[in-house]
Amino acid sequence: MLLTVTDLDVHYGHAKALHHINLHLSKGEVICMVGRNGAGKTTLLKTIAGFLKPTQGSILFEQKTIQGLVPEKVSMMGIRYVFQDKRVFGELTVKENIELAAYPTKEKVSDSIDRIVNLYPRMSVLLDSKAKGLSGGQRQILLIGRALIGEPKLLLIDEPTEGLSAGIIEEIVNVIGRMKGQLSMVIVEQNLSVVSRMADRVYIMKEGSIFKEIIDRAVIAQSNALEAYL
Amino acid sequence: MTSKIRDSGGLGVILIALGFTILGTGTSIHRTTDFIIFCIFVLGFDLLYGHMGRLSFGHMLFFGSGAYAAGLLVRYITPHPLLALLAGICGGALVGGILGPVVVRATGACFALINLAFNQVGHFLALVAFAKVTGGEDGLSLTFSKIPFLNISNPKVFFGFTIFCLCLVYYFLKRLTSSPYGILLRTIRENETRAQFIGYNTFQYKWITFVISSSISAFAGALATLNYGYVNPSFIDPTRNVEVVFAALIGGAGSLYGAILGGVSYMVISNYLARYIPRWEIFLGLALLLLVFKFKEGIWGNILAVWKRRTQARSVNRT
Amino acid sequence: MISTLIYGLTIGGILYIISIGLSLTFGSMRIVNFAHGMVYTTGAYILIAALPFLHNNFFAGVLVAIVVVIPLSFIIEKFIIRRLYGESIDYAIIATYAVLLIGVDLVKWIWGTSPIPLSDPVGKSVTFLSIEVPLYRLIIIAISLTLCVGLWLFFKKTIVGKIIIAGLQDREAVRSLGISVDKYFSLVFVLGSCLAALGGVLYAPITTVHPYMGFHILLISFAVVIVGGLGSLKGTTISAFVLGMVMAITGRFWGPAAEAMVFAVMAVVLIYKPIEV
Repeated sequence: MLLTVTDLDVHYGHAKALHHINLHLSKGEVICMVGRNGAGKTTLLKTIAGFLKPTQGSILFEQKTIQGLVPEKVSMMGIRYVFQDKRVFGELTVKENIELAAYPTKEKVSDSIDRIVNLYPRMSVLLDSKAKGLSGGQRQILLIGRALIGEPKLLLIDEPTEGLSAGIIEEIVNVIGRMKGQLSMVIVEQNLSVVSRMADRVYIMKEGSIFKEIIDRAVIAQSNALEAYL
Repeated sequence: MTSKIRDSGGLGVILIALGFTILGTGTSIHRTTDFIIFCIFVLGFDLLYGHMGRLSFGHMLFFGSGAYAAGLLVRYITPHPLLALLAGICGGALVGGILGPVVVRATGACFALINLAFNQVGHFLALVAFAKVTGGEDGLSLTFSKIPFLNISNPKVFFGFTIFCLCLVYYFLKRLTSSPYGILLRTIRENETRAQFIGYNTFQYKWITFVISSSISAFAGALATLNYGYVNPSFIDPTRNVEVVFAALIGGAGSLYGAILGGVSYMVISNYLARYIPRWEIFLGLALLLLVFKFKEGIWGNILAVWKRRTQARSVNRT
Repeated sequence: MISTLIYGLTIGGILYIISIGLSLTFGSMRIVNFAHGMVYTTGAYILIAALPFLHNNFFAGVLVAIVVVIPLSFIIEKFIIRRLYGESIDYAIIATYAVLLIGVDLVKWIWGTSPIPLSDPVGKSVTFLSIEVPLYRLIIIAISLTLCVGLWLFFKKTIVGKIIIAGLQDREAVRSLGISVDKYFSLVFVLGSCLAALGGVLYAPITTVHPYMGFHILLISFAVVIVGGLGSLKGTTISAFVLGMVMAITGRFWGPAAEAMVFAVMAVVLIYKPIEV
C-alpha cells in the first residue's frame, strides 16, 4: 500500500473541515476525489502535502508517517502537489520554472525539459516565454511537467481540467493517461466524464467526510451513475 | 433589571466614577487626572483599533490637533475653557474629516503608516511651519478664565470634571458599540467585503468612525492642554504613539474596560516604574514583545477568558 | 541647480539602499519591519564607535558596521520575524516597533541623546559641469548604482535570486517543489538589514547621527516603498530616486519641508492609487 490515510481530522480554527477520513492507494493506482465545492477535497490534498496539520489521525506513505511534516520534506519524499488555479511563476520564463523545479532534485534541467516536450511538443517553442503568457491548458501542462521532475512516486493534482475548453481537456487527459502506470495519483476532479476515463477508484466526499468509495469499474465508467451519488 | 443597567452602560459609569475617585483621593489627584485624560485618548484610539480593527500608528496627530486647537483658541480668541474643549473636538473632527477619505481606503500596514506619516507632517507644521503661531518648540503657555461651576485651576474641581468627561465618553462609546452600528463596525473588522455585499457603504462608516475616533482623541488632547496650562509639540510627537498602542494592547483591544484598564496600566508603568528602572523604555519594548507573542488579549481579555472558563465549568456542574 | 540634482541623486541612492531591504522583507514575508530602522541606526553608531580604533579609516568602519549587523539581524529574524509569519499584520508592526524602541533606548544609554556630527570622510570636491560637488556624494551615487545593477543581476540570473522572485509571488508553490523558501527569505532579511546598515553609515556624514535617526528615515523609506508599490523592486528603485529628487528640490526652497513634501507626494499617490496590504 503506497498511501494510507487513517481516521484523519483537520480543523480550520474551531471549524472541522475534515472528519474521520479513511482512504488508501496502491502503487500505480489512480484515485479520484469527487464532491461538491466545500466538501474538503482540496483540504485533504493540502493535508497530505503537508500544508495543513491534522488534529487527529495518521497518514502513511510507503509505511512512513508523514502527517505533520513540512511541505518541503513531503515533496522530497516523492509526493508532489499540483495546485489549483494553474499557478505558475508568471514572472519567470517556462525554462526558469523548470530550472527552479529541478534545483532541489538531482535531475538535469535538460532532462526535465525533454520530458515536458515529450508530453507536449509545443512546449519547446514556449521555453523562453514568460510563464504568465501561457494559456490555461499550457500552464496546467507546465505544472504537471514541473511536478514530474525528480521522478516522484505520488502526484496530488487539484482540479486539472477546471476552466479549460473541451479540446484542451482532451490534451490534459491524454497527458495524464500517458503518466498512468508510471506513478500513482490522487486527482481532485469535478468533471465527471474525465473521472470516468481516468479513475481506477473513486471516493465521493460530502461535507468533510468520505461518503462512499466506488470500486466497480463499470459504475465509474458511467459518469451519470457517479452524478447520482453527489 | 441589573442586566438592563449593565447593557445601558450605567453600571460601568458608576464603577468608573467610583474607581477613579478612590484612586485619586488615595494617591495623587494631579496624577490621576493625567491617567483619566490618557484613558479617554485610549478609548478614542481603541474604537478604531479594537472595534474596527485598524491600527493607527499616528493617533497623536489627533490628540495634538485637539490640544493645539484648544490652545490657539485660548491664546488668540477667548480664554474660555469650555469653548477651548469644543474647539479641540472640532479640530480633531476637522482633521479626521479631511484625512479620512485618504486614510480609510488603506488597510493593515498602509493604514498604520499613513497615519504615522500624517502625524509626522502635523508635528512638522506645529514645530516649524507655523511656529510663529504655535510657539514652535516652546509652545504656548495659557491662562484660562474662571467660569461658574468650573474653576480649572482648582485641581479637585478639574479632577471631578475629568471623571465626568471620562464617564461621558465611556457612556457614549458603550451605547455606540452596543448598537447596530457597533455590530457593523465589527463586521467591517472581520470581513469588510461581506458587509459591502449586504449593502452597506462601508467607506462612509469607516470615515465616520475615523472622525469619531479622532474627535475623542482630540478631546483628550484639549483636556490635557487645560490640565497642564500649556501646549507644545510633545503633544503631537509621533514617537509617543507607542504609548497608546501599548495601552490598548495591554488592556485588551476591543473592549471599553480593557481600554481604560490599559490606560491606567501604561500610566502606572510609565510613572512609577520609570522611577525604579532608568531604562524603562527597554522594558516597555520587551513588554510589547511579550504581549504580541504571548498575551494578545491583554489583561482584560485574559480576565474575561478565565471568567468564561469558570462560568462554563459552573454551568456544566449544575447540569 | 546642478548641485541640487546631484544631491537629489545622492539622497535617492541612499533611499534606494535602505528601502530595497524594506521592500524585500515586505514582499517576502508581508511584514512591515520597523526593526529596519534599528539596524540602520546601529550601523551608524557602530561606525562612530569603531572609527577611533581604525585610525579614522572610514571604509574600514563601513565594513565593521556591516559585519556587526549580520549576526544582529540574524537574531532579529530568528526570534522575532520568523514568529510573525501568518500573524495579523498589526502584530508585526507592533513587535518590530518594539525592537526599534529597545534599540533606540540602548543607543541612548550607551551614547547619550545628543546628536553626533560626523565629517565628510573624503573631504574633497570635484568640478562637475562647472559646479563644485563633494566627491563623497558622487561616490554614494556610484555605490547605489552599482548595487542596483548587482541586485538586478542577482535576481535575474542566479538561481537563488529566481527562487526569491518565485517565492515573493507564490510561497506555497515554491515549498511544494521541495525548496525551503523560508531559509532564503531569512537570507533576504539579513541582506536587507546589511543594506540598511550600509545606508546608515553612508548617510551619517551628510545628516546627523542621533538616536531617533532610524525612526526618521524609516518613515521616508516606507513612503518610498508605498509610492513604488508594495513588494515591487523596480517600483522601489524608481520611487527612491524620484523622492530623493523631491527632497532635494524642496529642500532648496524651504529646508525643513523636504520630508513633509515626501509625505505629501505619498498622500497624493494614495488618493489616486489606494493600496491594499
